Amino acid sequence: MSARPGSRVPFYRNVKTLGVLAQVVFAVVVVLAAALIYHNVSSALSRSHVPANFSFLGVRAGIPIAETPIPYTPSDSYARAFLIGVLNTLKVALVGVVLASVLGVVIGVMRLSANWLLRQLANLYVETIRNTPLAVQIVFWYTAILTPLPPRILSAVRWPGGVLVSNQGVALPWPYPTPAFPTWLPYLGAAVVLGALAYVVRRAQLRRADRPGSPLVPALLVALVVAVAGYLFVGTTPLPAHAATSFRQESGIATVFVDANGDGKVDQGERRLAFTPVVAHVAKGVLTTQTQDLSESRQIDYARFRFPPIQRGEYDSATVVFADPAKAEGLAIAYVHEPYQGIVYRDANGNGRFDAGEELSSSGDAKSGYSVELRMTVEGFRRRLVTDRDGQARIPRFTTGAAKAPSSGGGANMSPAQLFAPPSQAPAPSEQTTLQARFDAQAPRPIIISRPTIPISTYFGGLTLSSNYLALLLGLVIYTASFIAEIVRGGIQAVPGGQREAAKALGLSDLQTFRLVVFPQALRIILPPMISQYLNLTKNSSLAPLAAYVELFAITTIIASQTGASVPVTIMLIASYIAISLVFAFILNAVNARLALVER
Amino acid sequence: MTTLRKPPVKRRGALGWLRANLFSSWGNALASVAAVTLLAYLGGELALWMLSQAHWGPVWANLKLFAVYRYPAELLWRPFAASAVVLLLLGVTAGVGRRSGESIAGGVFWWFFALCAGLTLVGAVAWPVARWGWLAASLAGLLGYGAGRLRPRLARALPWSWGASLLVVVVLLNGFGADGALRSVSTKEWGGFMLTLILSIVGIAISFPLGIALALGRRSKLPVIRGVCVGFIEIVRGAPLIMWLFIASLMVPLVLNVSPNAVGPLSRAMVAVTLFSAAYMAENVRGGLQAVPKGQYEAAQALGLSGWQRTRLIVLPQALRAVIPAIVGQAIALFKDTSLVFIVGLFDFFNVGNIVANQNASLLIPGGVRLELSLFLAVVYWFFAYRMSVASRQLERQLGVGER
Repeated sequence: MSARPGSRVPFYRNVKTLGVLAQVVFAVVVVLAAALIYHNVSSALSRSHVPANFSFLGVRAGIPIAETPIPYTPSDSYARAFLIGVLNTLKVALVGVVLASVLGVVIGVMRLSANWLLRQLANLYVETIRNTPLAVQIVFWYTAILTPLPPRILSAVRWPGGVLVSNQGVALPWPYPTPAFPTWLPYLGAAVVLGALAYVVRRAQLRRADRPGSPLVPALLVALVVAVAGYLFVGTTPLPAHAATSFRQESGIATVFVDANGDGKVDQGERRLAFTPVVAHVAKGVLTTQTQDLSESRQIDYARFRFPPIQRGEYDSATVVFADPAKAEGLAIAYVHEPYQGIVYRDANGNGRFDAGEELSSSGDAKSGYSVELRMTVEGFRRRLVTDRDGQARIPRFTTGAAKAPSSGGGANMSPAQLFAPPSQAPAPSEQTTLQARFDAQAPRPIIISRPTIPISTYFGGLTLSSNYLALLLGLVIYTASFIAEIVRGGIQAVPGGQREAAKALGLSDLQTFRLVVFPQALRIILPPMISQYLNLTKNSSLAPLAAYVELFAITTIIASQTGASVPVTIMLIASYIAISLVFAFILNAVNARLALVER
Repeated sequence: MTTLRKPPVKRRGALGWLRANLFSSWGNALASVAAVTLLAYLGGELALWMLSQAHWGPVWANLKLFAVYRYPAELLWRPFAASAVVLLLLGVTAGVGRRSGESIAGGVFWWFFALCAGLTLVGAVAWPVARWGWLAASLAGLLGYGAGRLRPRLARALPWSWGASLLVVVVLLNGFGADGALRSVSTKEWGGFMLTLILSIVGIAISFPLGIALALGRRSKLPVIRGVCVGFIEIVRGAPLIMWLFIASLMVPLVLNVSPNAVGPLSRAMVAVTLFSAAYMAENVRGGLQAVPKGQYEAAQALGLSGWQRTRLIVLPQALRAVIPAIVGQAIALFKDTSLVFIVGLFDFFNVGNIVANQNASLLIPGGVRLELSLFLAVVYWFFAYRMSVASRQLERQLGVGER
C-alpha cells in the first residue's frame, strides 16, 4: 500500500498535490455555479422591468407607517422607510433583551427553588413555552388577547397610576425633558463629577483599610443627592418671552410657541415649545356622538354611546341629553362611566333603571343599526396637559353647540321613515360661535411627567405602546425567557457544590452565598449562551408581520412588493442581518475576553 | 453540659413532605400560597371558559382543513395509507429486538398508536369520513408490533424499509397519471398538518447528509473548501428562516431563470428550509467531530486506513452518536419553524389556523374564535414537540452524553 522509502511518490498519490487539485476543482465548481446563477438572474432581470439597482431607494415610498421613532411621512423616500424599519427592530430588540433576561433569570432561579410548587410552576412554563412555535404565540397575543380584550379606544380601561389600556395599545405616564432641561444640566454634570470623586476616594479608603465593600454605593448616593438638590434648586424656569398659544377649534389642537413677530399665529421658523405644561380651559363646550351596537368581549352591546373620557375634577358640570328629544320618546340613558359612557335603553317599566330586557336590541323594538344622537354639554372644563414633541396639546373636539349642521352623515343610519319625516326643530342658536377656550402655558421644571389622555380617537401624551408592538414584544420576551431560564439553571447547577458548602462554612447567609459566591461563577457559564439567545431574539423579531408591526423585515417585504426590486431587497436583507449578527459576535467576543481575564 | 432541645421536626409522611417542600420558611410559605392562588385562579378561569364560553364548533368543522387542507376528499385514503405505512414500520421497530433503542422506539410507537386510536374515537363522534382511515392506521401499527415481536429477524430489513417507506409515502401522496385512484395531486392542494410533517421530515432528512458534508468541509485542512463552507454556514445562520423563505420565494425563479409560475411554493419553501437546516445541522455535527478524541484519528492512521475510511468508519460513527440529542433538538426547532412557511403562501397547519380564524371572524360568534384556534394550534404543536423532547432526553441518558 505504501511507497517504498526513498522512492518518489507519484503526483497523483501525493497528499499535497491532491489537496491543491481538490481545491482547484472545488473552486472551479463554485465559481461556475456562481457564474450560472449570475447569468440566469441577469438575463431574467433584463426580460422584466423591475429595478435591479439601489436607485429606487431615493424615490417617494408612499408607505404609511403607524409607529415612527423619528419623524416620517408617506411622502418620504424608501431609504427613510427602511431606516424606520431598522429603528423599530432596535426598539423591540433592545427592550425585549432586557425584559427577557429579567424574566428568564427569575424563572431559572425558580426552577431551582426549594419550594416544590414554584419549581413545578417554572417547569410548566419552560416546557409549555419552549415546545410551542413562536408564530403561534405571537398570533395568540395579538389576535386573541390584545386586539379583542379592551375594545375601543374610547372605552379604554384605566389602570391605577393613569395607565390606559385598549385595543390601540397601552399608554403610560412618561417623563420627558422640558425646554428648561438645560438649566439642570450643570447640576447633572456636577453630580457625575462628584460621584466619580466619591468613588475614587472611597475606593482608596477601602484599600487602605483593607476592607471588603463596594465604593459604588456611596458614589451613587452622592450623585443622587447632588442631582436632586440641583433639581430642587433650579425649580421652575420662566417661559421664554413672547410665549403664546394658538388654538384651532375644529381639530381641538393648541400649539405652544414663541411668537417672535407677535401676530398670534404659528409661522414658519417660530420655535415650538415641546413638553411644556399647559392648562386647557373651556368655559362651555358641547360634544355629540351617535349610539352604536358593538360586539365586545364576545357579546353584543346594544345602543352604546361613548364620548371622549372626561375624569372627575376636570369639569364643573356635564349633562348628556338626546339631540332630538322628539325622536327619543320613551328612551332613557344609563351610564357605565358617568358622564361619558353608557347605554341608551327603552324604559319599558318606567322605573328609571336599566333592567334586563330593556335594551334596544336588533331583535327587539329597534331595527338593526338603530342609532340616536346624543349631546354632552360640559361646563368649566379644565385639563392639565403636556405638549408633545411638536409643541401641540390636544383636547376633545368641543363645539359651541350653535350652528349645528343639519344631521350630517346621519342618512346611512336612518330608516326611511326618519329620512322623510319633516326636519326636526334645530336647537336654539346661541349668540357665541367661537368656543370660549383658553390655554395657559406654564413655567416648566426640567423634567415633566406627561400623562396620557384620549382627546378624540387616539392617545395623546404619555408613552404609547401599540398593540402590535406589545404583541411582538410579549411573544419574544416570553419565548426567549424560557430558553434563558434553562441557561440560567444549567449555569447555576454547574457551580460545584463545594463552593456552596464552603460559603456556608464561612457563615454566609443563603442570599450572600448566592450573591457573592454562586452567581458570579455561574455568570461566566451563563453569559455566552445568553448572548446567542439575544441574537435569536433579534432575529426572531422578523416575525413582526404576524402582529402587523413594521420593522426591518416587514418594511422590506412591503418595499419588495411595491417595487419588485427582488435582487436589491435580497442584498439589503442579508446585509442587515449579517450586520446584526456581527455586532452580536463582537459583543460575545468582548464578553469572552473579559471573562477570560477574570479567570485565574 | 447539655441543654434541652426540641425534638427534631418530623420529615416523613404527607405532612412532612408539605413542610419540607412548601412551607420550609415564611418566604416559602408565602410563595406557595401565592402560587396556589394564581394557579387556582388561572386554571379555574380557563376551565370555566373552555367549558362554558368557548366555541369549539369551528375547530370540529374544519378538521379536514387542519389535517390535509385541500387534498381531494375522495383520495383521503392515500394520506391514511401513508400514515399506516409509517405506523407499521414504527410498530416493527418497536416490536423487534431488546437492544438499547427499544424503549425509546416503543415509547414513540405507543404514543403515536394512542394518537391514532384517539383519532379513531374522535372520527366515530365528529369526523365520519376519517373514522375507518384512523382505524386502519391503528391496526397497521398493531400488526407491525406483533410481527416485530414474533419475528425479531425483521430487524435486518428495517433500515432499507424505512428508506423505501419515504419513497412509498411520496408516491402515495403525490400520485401519478391523470386519473384513476392514484392520479396525481398538485402540491398546491397539500396543506395542513400533513404539510407541516412533510416539511419537517424532508427538511431533516435532506439536510442531514448536507450538514455532514458542510461540517467535514468546515473541518477540512484545505483553505478554499473550508472558507466556502464557513461562509455558507455563517451567512445562513446569521439571518432568520423567515427571511430565507422570503428570499427563496423572490429569487428561486430568477436563479433558475424560469417564469415565476414554474416553481411552486412548496419547492421554494423546501429549498429554503433544507439549506437553512443544513447550516444548523453542520454546526451540530461539527460539535460531535470536535468531541472525537485525537487519539482516534491517530489510531485510525496507524491502522493504515485512508482518510475517507477513517472518516466513515471511525470518526463519523462516534461523532454522530454524540450529537443525536442535538439533532433531535434541531428537529424540534425545525418542526416549530415550519409555521413560517405562511410567508411563501403555503397553507401549513399554522396558516390553516389563520384562514379558519379569518373565516369565523365575528360572522356568527362575536369577536371570532381566535382564542380557541390559538389554543388548539398551540396544544397540537406542543404535543408533538414535547414528545420529541422527551425522547431526546431519554436518548441523552441512554447514550450517556456528558458523562464520559
